[in-house]
Amino acid sequence: MQLAVNILVLTAIYALIACGYVLIYRVSRVLNLAHGELMMLSAYLLLWTASLFAGHPLVAIAAALGLSALVGALVYLFLLRKLTGEMALAAVLTTVALGVLLRGATVLVWSAQQQYPAQPLGASNSTLALPGGARISVWAALLVATTLVVYAGLFAFLRLGRWGMRMRAAGQNPLLAAQRGINLHAIYALAWSLSTLTGALAGILMALDSGLSQTMAIIGLKAFPAALVGGLDSLAGALLGALMVAATEVMLIHYVDPLLSEVVPFLLLIVVLMLRPWGLFGTREELDRV
Amino acid sequence: MLSRTKIVALTLGLLAPPAAAQDAYTIGLTGALTGPPASTYAPAADALRLYVDGVNATGGIGGKKINLILQDDAAEPGKATANAKKLLGQDNVILLLNASLSSTFPPVVAEAKRAGVPVLFASSVCPKEVYPPADALQFCSTAFASTYDSRATLGFIKETAKEPVKIGFAAMAIPLSRAEMDFAEQQAPGLGMTVVGKEVIPPPTPDYTPFATKLKDAGANWVFSWAPWVTQVRTLEALRRLDWKGNYIAWAHIEAEGELARLKDGSFYVIGANALFQDQLPIHKEIAEAAKKAKLTYPVEQLTEGWIAGMVVEAALKAAGWPATPEKVAAALSTLKVDTKGLRGGPIEWTKDNHFRTQQYYRVYRWDPAKGSIVQVKDWTVFGVKSP
Repeated sequence: MQLAVNILVLTAIYALIACGYVLIYRVSRVLNLAHGELMMLSAYLLLWTASLFAGHPLVAIAAALGLSALVGALVYLFLLRKLTGEMALAAVLTTVALGVLLRGATVLVWSAQQQYPAQPLGASNSTLALPGGARISVWAALLVATTLVVYAGLFAFLRLGRWGMRMRAAGQNPLLAAQRGINLHAIYALAWSLSTLTGALAGILMALDSGLSQTMAIIGLKAFPAALVGGLDSLAGALLGALMVAATEVMLIHYVDPLLSEVVPFLLLIVVLMLRPWGLFGTREELDRV
Repeated sequence: MLSRTKIVALTLGLLAPPAAAQDAYTIGLTGALTGPPASTYAPAADALRLYVDGVNATGGIGGKKINLILQDDAAEPGKATANAKKLLGQDNVILLLNASLSSTFPPVVAEAKRAGVPVLFASSVCPKEVYPPADALQFCSTAFASTYDSRATLGFIKETAKEPVKIGFAAMAIPLSRAEMDFAEQQAPGLGMTVVGKEVIPPPTPDYTPFATKLKDAGANWVFSWAPWVTQVRTLEALRRLDWKGNYIAWAHIEAEGELARLKDGSFYVIGANALFQDQLPIHKEIAEAAKKAKLTYPVEQLTEGWIAGMVVEAALKAAGWPATPEKVAAALSTLKVDTKGLRGGPIEWTKDNHFRTQQYYRVYRWDPAKGSIVQVKDWTVFGVKSP
């Protein structure tokens, strides 16, 4: 039972991070390689809001999430907007530079030491006993629940919401969407904002569960295979990819060798990409256009 | 417009080294001031700078100031190489310090050897070349020592355990940590302990619970971890979340004191070579006052390692005299004896063949829930150092 819980938690972590990659790629064809750093920045923002709203954890978390969404939109407006219509590679390289910048900036502002945002918030991390003798921390359980809510919300938003449909239209055919009066810059800014918000949820919940350090940026990259396995333009794919990568990792840790858990997800990625270069749920047409 | 004379004067001024640097002991450090492992190295670099500033503020060494140049390598070997080239070739340092991951050692040492400049590893792990028979140009003041740390830890567990020991190990998937846990795994049965598991945890890991689950399921009643702090503490926290009630012992990295107070776990022991600030030695007060005055970002209890490096540097430059050359500094380091004023169990003493230290001391601490404070569990235990 504990094994299943471990798989569930890791799936939730990877899925919540991976959907950020998908949201931006699906709409603008840009691979955001600063997603891990933006996730880390959001967790550091929680440290700041926690000092502003000490004793009010919900307010502090909400403020950090709001700021993160704003940061995402600002990144698009001030950095990526000028690259719209240019080679996708230029935008990807810009996100790499942004990542390096954020890593340096967070050290300068918050130092390199390990931080625990739960402390200033006065939030404890108790554990919940589950059937079968399994246990899960409260923050990890919240992370699983949040992932479910985020995915359900995103599916509903993209299928039923007016802005969601505009996002899909902009992703499928930007020229036609623009001719129909859709403001592409607003759509792209929204995608960046939503992507950073979902990354922020992952980063903040992980930081509350087990602390925060510079290594969080790398965890952002660890979720990348999940997005690729599932297909970079598919939310359902990201969920399935996260499950496959997480289950492979946990099973290898438990039954074979923990060191293989680092390698095999990438082996899985190579195998999937060899058989279906566009991922399990990705669209072939979409990929050919990149 | 600037006249030609002014342009020439300005150019010469820019090319010439600063007067202060010419008239000072110039030393340089390449370290992981940023990057994932910076939490271990950046506080040490800050503490070293603090110490050097203190020496300079009181007139320097024999009237000559120390010019300390800090270069960030972000724990990347390529950047460390560039830093070493710059410090040795442009700044003409007489002593090169390394405070970074072991992957930066080979290029830094190669550059230093080409220039004939001694290298002091300060807060970065001691390479095997500093143990007897030591390399002529490599020295180490860092607290932790492979194999000796495991011997001391297993000895402590044997003394402390009230029941038969079923021990598990937690390493980070980096060569040094793995090798140390392999060594401990081999030693434990000889001390009557049953080895029930060893987890090698890749860095970074989003969730430590899968590794902790294995250690718990294996039935460990003691877990020993010798790894970067993040691996040590997150494995412990994951074990506790699984309701594991055993004893956990880890290396007392610079974060240890603050973390003992945060976790308040009576069965969590840390073993280390530096005295914690809870010992309230006069030297601790001195460090705390200096840190407060300088408004350092890092908690004061994380400064010991860098402060000790500063003591070593000061003693070495004093012994080398003025004008100092790399050869004179290397010669001074080879016979150095530094009184650490209680920060270690005894002096740091180097000989021609031993650039680690002739004796290594260990102390064990834990959080005492009854007292609500950190307490010493075992006072200094000494090991004679003869080989790696």
